[in-house]
Amino acid sequence: MISKKDFKKISDWLWEIPKGFRADMRVPARVYLSEKMLEEAFRDRSIEQLINVSTLPGIQKYALAMPDMHEGYSSPIGGVAAIDTKEGIISPGMQGYDINCGVRILTSEWKENDLKPHLEKLAEEIYKEVPSGLGRGRQLKFSIPELDKILEGGVPYLVEQGYGEKEDIENCEAGGKLPWADASAVSNHAKNRGRDQVGTLGSGNHFLEIQKVAEIFNEEVAKVFGLFKDQVVIMIHCGSRGLGHQVCSDYLREFIPLMLNKYKIKVPDREFACVPFNSPEGKRALAASGAAANYAWANRQMITHFVRKAWKNVLGERGGKLNLLYDVAHNIIKIEKYNINGKEKEVAVHRKGATRAFPPGNFEIPEKYREVGQPVIIPGSMGTASYVLVGTKEGEEAFYSTCHGAGRTMSRHAAIRSLSGREIINQLERKGIIVKCYSLKGIAEEAPQAYKNVDEVVEVVHNAGLSKKVAKLIPLAVIKGE
Amino acid sequence: MKKRKNKKKFYQVLEHKADLKIRVFGKTKEELFENAMVGMFEGAKYQKKPKVQSSQLKVKIKSIDLISLLVDFLSEILYLVETKKLVFEKVKFKKFTEKEIEAELIGRPLKRMGVHIKGVTYHDLNIHQEKDGTWQATILFDI
Repeated sequence: MISKKDFKKISDWLWEIPKGFRADMRVPARVYLSEKMLEEAFRDRSIEQLINVSTLPGIQKYALAMPDMHEGYSSPIGGVAAIDTKEGIISPGMQGYDINCGVRILTSEWKENDLKPHLEKLAEEIYKEVPSGLGRGRQLKFSIPELDKILEGGVPYLVEQGYGEKEDIENCEAGGKLPWADASAVSNHAKNRGRDQVGTLGSGNHFLEIQKVAEIFNEEVAKVFGLFKDQVVIMIHCGSRGLGHQVCSDYLREFIPLMLNKYKIKVPDREFACVPFNSPEGKRALAASGAAANYAWANRQMITHFVRKAWKNVLGERGGKLNLLYDVAHNIIKIEKYNINGKEKEVAVHRKGATRAFPPGNFEIPEKYREVGQPVIIPGSMGTASYVLVGTKEGEEAFYSTCHGAGRTMSRHAAIRSLSGREIINQLERKGIIVKCYSLKGIAEEAPQAYKNVDEVVEVVHNAGLSKKVAKLIPLAVIKGE
Repeated sequence: MKKRKNKKKFYQVLEHKADLKIRVFGKTKEELFENAMVGMFEGAKYQKKPKVQSSQLKVKIKSIDLISLLVDFLSEILYLVETKKLVFEKVKFKKFTEKEIEAELIGRPLKRMGVHIKGVTYHDLNIHQEKDGTWQATILFDI
């Protein structure tokens, strides 16, 4: 049974379980938590799951967990593992079913008070314009050849087709397109699911919010990002929908017998099923997951298109532009290079509920942000605060990773038992927040009370130096899909 | 504890931070699999359109062992929910071994989903027989 005394304190914000704690650990496990949060972390199995991550072949330096960590189904949510591409494995389960679940912010030229008279109409219009999930609202259906173009072309392809602006491409992580994506590695099952879900928001903890900039912590960086106090912004949080879920299932299914019989790799849980990164099967899994990631970016781009349409419908020409600030993924495998023990190594960074936060000077971030660092977007739980942070060079110790959200503290089951969807909506409406949703079901589970305090989570990454606070955002309207 | 019309318990929703975890029961493996399907739909509150005629769909699954068979069976069902827009109520097994299923699924049109199941996980998936010969499984779904 693991307890606090098994941890070595590295700093007030960083704790380590040494490699020797369990015989199968290949590297130490590190958690970015305050002392109080560490004590609470023993309430679920997230720490044990992090130790399982540290057993993955080829893992470099540490198995990491961010302060929003909680129990998952392989890695804890909030987990990061950088795995050597030459000698290590690729693990679809560690990336998760919702490949490239992520978030973006659109900035407007408006201030809250000026928008207030139009807010209800705007929320209603966005709710109408953005396709819902299964069966309701606008239905967009693509042919398989069109879908293949989206899988390989991502955001650039959609912009080319008229669904966005040129700047949307560079303001998206990876330019909204992973070059290793290959549509032929994606099964027909996955494509059949994805055909009519492009541009849909989905349910659960996915949402769209109209927010305002409530507080600026760093004026200089906020200016570079185009943020100002009381500014109205729009946040979109969703992923790769049924297509991504199917890709993950497909490769887990394929990898289990390969792992057991062909490559003879042992993992603590079948959900970590993996093959060597450099194997033909590993390369195909990466290609499929890249395609699913591109699909998610295309999804958020399409939703952006509909939001811009709704904005213009309500405000006309005086609405002005909605610019994409940035778009980040938080369940994804990225190929990055790091200096590890004096050597430059290429690693497959598996982020499961964690966000990349590149430092100032990094060439992968847009030129206009390069001097200050990469924008990081942290969605809070429904109706609570969200944050914009910026990447730092100190973040290298965590493979330039930071938190992704608030992290759950209450099970969905417990939330449904103790809270009612109607009450939650009433609470939000009493705070002046408009809520648009298809049904009350699913609302109670997403209540802010079921999540960690996002302010506390952000304090940890800020103090640990993984990313620094730039602005705090609060919701004016919440729109949920289905 | 949820009960069917014949008042025998066939699944329980268990506590989990973020996901849907259910324990399923069955007198036989076939019944376990059918109850897992129904428990999954009820746990995630997938609703059917009432008073609409039901449809049948055939499925064929081949897996490496019983655990993978259960995951693959439920995953295929989730695929059919999204592509055929059906929620299934019954399974008629034509073939059932530790590694293979041939079955007919009977269901009605999907009305709405309570929470969207993203995947059937292998995490802690445990299928075993109790002392009295009944079957039990614990399954975690990513939602």
